[in-house]
Amino acid sequence: MSNDLIIKVDNVHVSFWQNNLGIYTLKDLIAQRKLPFKSKTILNNISVEVKRGDSLGIVGRNGSGKSTLLRTIAGIIKPDRGTVIVNGTFAPILAIGAGLESELTGYENIKLLLALYGTARKNTNAIDNVREFSELSDDVLRSPVKQYSSGMLARLAFSISLANDSDILIIDEVMAVGDQGFQGKCVKKIYDMKEQGKTILYVSHFPDDVARICNKAVLLEGGEVVHSGDSQEICQKYSNLF
Amino acid sequence: MGFFWGFIKPLLYLLIFIVIFGENLGIPNYPLFATSGLIFWFFFSNVTGQAIGSVVGSAGLLKSLNIPAYFFPLSETISELFNFLLSLIVFFVAMRWFGMVYDLKLLLVIPCIFLFAIFSLGLNLFLCSINVFFKDIGIIWGTIQPALFFLTPIAYKEQYIVQKYKAIIEYNPIYQFIKLGRSILYEPTLPPAHQWTVCISIAVITYVVGHFVFYRLKNQFISAI
Ligand SMILES: Nc1ncnc2c1ncn2[C@@H]1O[C@H](COP(=O)(O)OP(=O)(O)O)[C@@H](O)[C@H]1O
Ligand SMILES: [Mg+2]
Repeated sequence: MSNDLIIKVDNVHVSFWQNNLGIYTLKDLIAQRKLPFKSKTILNNISVEVKRGDSLGIVGRNGSGKSTLLRTIAGIIKPDRGTVIVNGTFAPILAIGAGLESELTGYENIKLLLALYGTARKNTNAIDNVREFSELSDDVLRSPVKQYSSGMLARLAFSISLANDSDILIIDEVMAVGDQGFQGKCVKKIYDMKEQGKTILYVSHFPDDVARICNKAVLLEGGEVVHSGDSQEICQKYSNLF
Repeated sequence: MGFFWGFIKPLLYLLIFIVIFGENLGIPNYPLFATSGLIFWFFFSNVTGQAIGSVVGSAGLLKSLNIPAYFFPLSETISELFNFLLSLIVFFVAMRWFGMVYDLKLLLVIPCIFLFAIFSLGLNLFLCSINVFFKDIGIIWGTIQPALFFLTPIAYKEQYIVQKYKAIIEYNPIYQFIKLGRSILYEPTLPPAHQWTVCISIAVITYVVGHFVFYRLKNQFISAI
């Protein structure tokens, strides 16, 4: 792998077991005597290369496989075929409705995720940084995150990702649900990160944002990369889909 | 589950056992006899109870971090093992009153509980991975546990089971570990070598099966939780 590549995804194929009979208990399994799992292809023959310092936008319809691709790149999902090579570290992927433990409080989530990333040891202010960036009050952070609105979740999730000093930042639609003030703040932060030479993987449904933030982009359709290249051009193709 | 509550339950069982069986079964040093079985049983019952939901319960983390799913059942097992070792210290102190003889042979309880933990980890790996796909595993397990408890000679001796039901005891893996543990903690003699062989075999086989099932299923955890 050449030196300036930070991510190389080569011919990756991912499939999930889909449970399409609605059998979720052993009792139903015994009653119906059918195995409910069928393998379903989610990502097919994906190849993507990202250079260090690049910002890659990933666009596509709902269900085209964007989140799955991000998780595969981050090593959370193992491909059935193909290889993923990464020369850097990731912040946790905190997408809307995933990534935070809903029963735990905001503080507990922060501590847990920072501890798992070893950030808490290196940077003792990490918790304060998260609280400051998220602008969530002490009271809010003391309550379980299942009580948060989606905007509050996004604030917390994004702030935790930032607190981890990692090489690759993954943003999966989290900004869309924040209010305007927060969105502006996030965009500014993303530019800062780019300045610092971080690599960014960015999923959004706003082609203008993608074109502005990213230099490269890929367009996914039905789990395949149908176009890749310059972000302006890809965003144009994405807009033309609708 | 917490160290304190971990104590209350076996203690309550012990008191009930003493009241009901203490004088009738003709077992010398009955409190020591019963406790030596109870502490093993409660380790087993706690560790499986904690571990079954460990993968499903960590859905948020598993979906956002590249963290091996194996970490969750393993950490539950280790933390219960730690609790068990703490309760063992209390047990050693308390059992002096009930006639336990301090002896170097008691140290054999360490490898014994280690084997039991390997067995439990294997079972946990199996249960927690199946539980990802079938959500009633926890309920089923909770239902069969009391049956298992009474079919295991904890409050009574295995001799009380009549011949035609002996198989229930012989094929009860949990009892094999309790038998080993009890011969270390309660019986005056050393445990027979074949009892070690039996326990090592059960631990290894259970672990290998659990490990295999877990590794076959783990790539599908993310899509099912
Ligand atoms: N747990 C799952 N089990 C089966 N199929 C799934 C699961 N999660 C997602 N999918 C399918 O995978 C495809 C891609 O999903 P996803 O990566 O979340 O899409 P996107 O982020 O682009 O909206 C969708 O068709 C979805 O139905
Ligand atoms: Mg998505």
